[in-house]
Amino acid sequence: MQIDFSAREITVKLVYYGPALSGKTTNLQSLHDQSSAETRGRMMTLDTRDDRTLFFDMLPLTFTTEGGFAVRVKLFTVPGQVIHESTRRLVLSGADGVAFIADSRSAETQNNAAAFRDLKANLKANNYELRALPLAIQFNKRDLPDIRTDAELAAQAARGKEPVFRATAVKHEGVVDTFLGLLHLTLRSLDKQNDLRGKFGFERRAFLSQVAARFGDVTIEQHLATALTAPGAELSLTEDV
Amino acid sequence: MMHEGPRSPTEPPAMGVVRLEDLVDQAALEELATSLHALFGLSVRFFASDGSLLADRVTEQVLCRHLQTIPGARAQCARTIDVVKRLVPDGKTAPHPCFTGAEYLVVNVTYEQRRLGRAVLGPYLSPEVTSPPPSLLLVDDKLDPADAEALSPKMPRLTRERAELIAAHVQTSLELILFSGHKAWLTSQMHVASVTESYRVLEDKNKRLADAVDRLRELDRLKSNFLATVSHELRTPLTSIIGYSEMLTEGMAGDLTTEQRDYIGTIREKGEQLLSLIKSLLDLSKLESGTMALRKATLDVAVVTEQVVSTLLPTAKKRGVALESTVPKGLARLHADSEKLRQVLLNLTENALKFTPEGGSVRLSATLVAEDIDDDGMGLVLGAAAEERLELRVADTGIGIPEAERERVFDAFYQVDSSSTREYGGTGLGLSIVKRLVTAHGGSIRIEANTPTGTVFVVSLPTAPPSSS
Repeated sequence: MQIDFSAREITVKLVYYGPALSGKTTNLQSLHDQSSAETRGRMMTLDTRDDRTLFFDMLPLTFTTEGGFAVRVKLFTVPGQVIHESTRRLVLSGADGVAFIADSRSAETQNNAAAFRDLKANLKANNYELRALPLAIQFNKRDLPDIRTDAELAAQAARGKEPVFRATAVKHEGVVDTFLGLLHLTLRSLDKQNDLRGKFGFERRAFLSQVAARFGDVTIEQHLATALTAPGAELSLTEDV
Repeated sequence: MMHEGPRSPTEPPAMGVVRLEDLVDQAALEELATSLHALFGLSVRFFASDGSLLADRVTEQVLCRHLQTIPGARAQCARTIDVVKRLVPDGKTAPHPCFTGAEYLVVNVTYEQRRLGRAVLGPYLSPEVTSPPPSLLLVDDKLDPADAEALSPKMPRLTRERAELIAAHVQTSLELILFSGHKAWLTSQMHVASVTESYRVLEDKNKRLADAVDRLRELDRLKSNFLATVSHELRTPLTSIIGYSEMLTEGMAGDLTTEQRDYIGTIREKGEQLLSLIKSLLDLSKLESGTMALRKATLDVAVVTEQVVSTLLPTAKKRGVALESTVPKGLARLHADSEKLRQVLLNLTENALKFTPEGGSVRLSATLVAEDIDDDGMGLVLGAAAEERLELRVADTGIGIPEAERERVFDAFYQVDSSSTREYGGTGLGLSIVKRLVTAHGGSIRIEANTPTGTVFVVSLPTAPPSSS
């Protein structure tokens, strides 16, 4: 995170990670399409001829509170293709939170696992503590046949630590849920480390409600409730300081 | 400004307050102002966030020029301009009226919702204004209302809506410039970062390779030492075996039967073979460790080839193979160790005889070759004329060596196929010793095919400089 005291703003970097073709860019595209015009910036895609993502996509979103405090969120995707190892490592550096976009199809289970191991290795290379990193998992492509069932995901989420979201990014389903879930986790962690409330009078709950409003009528509570989590790890907005 | 952990290449080094003047070239702003001015006949000014002028393209209106000559109007004009310069719109744009009835439109220049600076369009006059307003007529007693009536309509005419469209166009153009700049910046940052990363990975690999090479060198050195020690230890008892069998043959331990003499003869013969093998091993290890001393002298190569032919002529006759040397006396002088050169040629010739069937031939020849023949004599003027080399050829009509094997035959203990060891004998050391001896003389060795069948070993050696003859 970058804090700019003179401009009263923070810049938060969120990285969408996952195997090739799991829908990371589609997630960003969908967020871009669903967010209000004053929120979204121009989506930047650095690409090449023969590859879907050479470097990355970047979508800047800006949210300003009534108190004039600005939160700039920069969303990045990493290239999923195995050969772009070093690009993934570079994009990951400085990330405040990670959304892992998995492919729901049963046949992709191995690829999901490999990409997650790759994420762990690259976090380690960037001197991150995986345990301390805000992480949300999204199972995308729920509209396809032969996918892992809701019951399977729920059972697994119940054993895991991070919230699991279900999405169909091409239909704008679950994309905002995932984003807000990750933003919630990330801001909670940043607030703890940097005392944003003390320094800027930043109210997380009110802020997240405002952010949710930029994407439509669904409240932040309703968004967060879509997550599958372990018992006791539900995403809650009650202050847990 | 604060940042945690290593700085990411995807973030600019310091955000702080972002300023238009840092992001866009002043010349680009001026070009934009000029093209807008040409398109709409409208004065355009770009201001930094702090109100300082960055670029402009202005046509002074005749009315304004006239007002400048009237003190009261001049003061009013200065006040208006001062306000416009400092006006920061809350939203995207804000109009500001001029006392002349005209209007300015102030446009926020933003990127990613950051206000970087402002553009000011105008003055322009709404088409609805048909006569000068009281604010103009009453600004100063010295202003003649007739002048105001006459000059006012010469202002550019523009509706507010149209001005807003132009403002949106200005904002979009600037945003595109900023976006492209930002994108190029990010791309170059990523390129630099990934090149740095690749360099680091490569350095890592290089280090591991260098370590591996060091380890292999050490192993190679150990192997050579071992070879030298073992050969030396083998030679000592073998000398006794040969010596005693010699004494027995000479009858120093009493008379022998014919059969006993034959047996002992075989023991001695095999002992000699073993000894010569051990000697080659010793030579090899000396050559590998670089401890073999060369006693160089200037010599005529023909003398050496003659000696080799005469030494091996009996063997050749026994095998029914023709052997001859066509090297003329005085062809070339070499600065070499005659003993070692002889060994090279003996080895090659013996080898050639061994692999040539009855009725075949082995021929020694020599030619002088100018080095770097492709240079076309360039550099002659600098005294850097191509050096001459002597190429010694040992050509046989034997079984030949497949092209793929030609490099490897010089490796120690290598034979083209192991079945040939049984058929032709030999240890596979001869050629590796030859190669090392030639290299020690600053020469090189290669293999060519003989037509229609057979092999040519070509030894290329530097000739002795004329002064040393």
